[in-house]
Amino acid sequence: MSMLSPSTGATLNAVAPARRDGWLVSRLGADSALVPWLYLAPTLILLALFTYWPLLQTAYLSLVDWNMNPSQPTQFVGADNYGRVFGSTLFQTALLNTVIYIGASIPLKVLLPIPVAVFLWSLGTRGHFYRAILFLPTLISFVVVGVAFLWILNPIFGYAKQFFALAGYRLPNLLADPDAAIWVIIGISTWKVLGFNMLIYLAGLASINREYIEAMRMDGAGDLTIFRRLIWPLLTPTLMFVMISTIIFTMQQVFTPIDLMTEGGPSNSTTNLFYMIYQYSFVTFDVGGGAAGTMMLFALLMILALLQIRLFDRRAHYKQ
Amino acid sequence: MQLSRPLQVVGHLVLLIICLSILAPMLIVVSTAIKLPNEVYALSLWPDVPTLQNFAHLFEQTAFGRYTWNTAGTTALRVAGQLALGVLAAYAFARFTFRFRDAIFALVIGAMMIPQVLTMLPNYILMAQLGWFDTWWALVVPNLATPIAIFLLRQHMMSFPSELIDAAQMDGAGHWTTLWRVIVPNLGPALSALTIIIFIDSWNEYFWPLLVTESENSRTIQIGLREFLQDDQDDYGALMAGIIFASVPAIAVFLFFQRRVMDTFVSSGLKG
Repeated sequence: MSMLSPSTGATLNAVAPARRDGWLVSRLGADSALVPWLYLAPTLILLALFTYWPLLQTAYLSLVDWNMNPSQPTQFVGADNYGRVFGSTLFQTALLNTVIYIGASIPLKVLLPIPVAVFLWSLGTRGHFYRAILFLPTLISFVVVGVAFLWILNPIFGYAKQFFALAGYRLPNLLADPDAAIWVIIGISTWKVLGFNMLIYLAGLASINREYIEAMRMDGAGDLTIFRRLIWPLLTPTLMFVMISTIIFTMQQVFTPIDLMTEGGPSNSTTNLFYMIYQYSFVTFDVGGGAAGTMMLFALLMILALLQIRLFDRRAHYKQ
Repeated sequence: MQLSRPLQVVGHLVLLIICLSILAPMLIVVSTAIKLPNEVYALSLWPDVPTLQNFAHLFEQTAFGRYTWNTAGTTALRVAGQLALGVLAAYAFARFTFRFRDAIFALVIGAMMIPQVLTMLPNYILMAQLGWFDTWWALVVPNLATPIAIFLLRQHMMSFPSELIDAAQMDGAGHWTTLWRVIVPNLGPALSALTIIIFIDSWNEYFWPLLVTESENSRTIQIGLREFLQDDQDDYGALMAGIIFASVPAIAVFLFFQRRVMDTFVSSGLKG
């Protein structure tokens, strides 16, 4: 791949007729060192304005006391917000819930799809019908999913209620039960993402040469040995990717069903860190608290990112 | 690969159960949406008198028409804007060498790792200061820079045969002309894949519109559904009609471009 350097551009320019460029570019001279910056400018300005600068601003806001009212002065309070948020029962509950959300997600959303994906892969093209169905929940917004399940789980007329009644079982109002509500949210987010993760595994499996399997089979290896000795090791990079992306998904996207179905309740039993930050910032308008919570979440995400890099490093080590 | 007989039976059984649990809620939603109010609470999936009244009710009862216009309009602007800015930035990274190029590229790609939560407070305050609160501006402009688009388009441009570009420049075409006349027309597959991703992502977005929309001026379908849910808890027929209406565009795109949509999502790792 050759890059067109400014110097070769200049040689071309000497023999070529006048370039039909935009007026700005032609005024600056087509080979000015400024040209690439003109192409980049819109993107860089937007990223600076809406991503990087706000990140710094969040760090600043975490040190002040402010209620988002422009006429109200901001007061510098140092690290007070961190201590206040960290010591609050809301934070402790939200942290614990985040751990539950992630802990439950790994067997349900990360591990369960593996054997199913392997089976689907063994079907070859005959599995196409399954794949299309498995993909459907990815297309539908989480709002739609939340509203649909609110209706199905309606405590009086919902299908779940009536269905269980037919079987002679009285289904309690799951969303009003502090012990059960979080599992409803976990179940719904699993419904949303299970098929998609399966398709990612399928993409990972597609790179495995089927001849290896035939060879192992010839040597008398059973299904289990093939899975353990060949498929599992080759699937590990995909597994890592699915794991990390699912953890991030679980921390962020679950916001929507929490907001629609429980608003963090009953008694904060479904609040996660993300929803806690939202509550601090936009329900109680405690900007300092919200920003301090945001920075703590940022730290947690950074740890996850480092962990991911380390895990990948170790894998690279195995390969040598 | 040939699995043993009992494993095959178990496999099909598990897959069928998973597929049924995916389809059952959808079936219930569709069934409720075509029921008259007196049948909504009945268990049977096929109503005695199927009706489209719920859809009409939805548009009479709420400003759903207006929400649809807001969603479609801002989504169209975002698709066009994100692709255009992505093409420009990708061209700079793919065809020029300049100082700090790799550092800048790392910074652009790094923005992918920064979730919206981390920047929402200052951005929300900024929208208020700019007077963009509850306008299309707030929905469109902060979302226009798309690292994933820049990354994918740059890769495609770098594998573009440089002979074609050199030939174009011999004929006197400048960078601008080369980009739009020679490179972009050949980026069809990459651009259509990105269009699908950005379209679905923008159509289904929830968190940011929840913060910056307040009235019919800019409220999108997803936020309209939330409002409807909170105002008319009992009108389940119309609510189900609403979520079907909200899902139709993405599902239609999927039905038309099945393979491409699936491949695009899987290879980008974006979870809807």
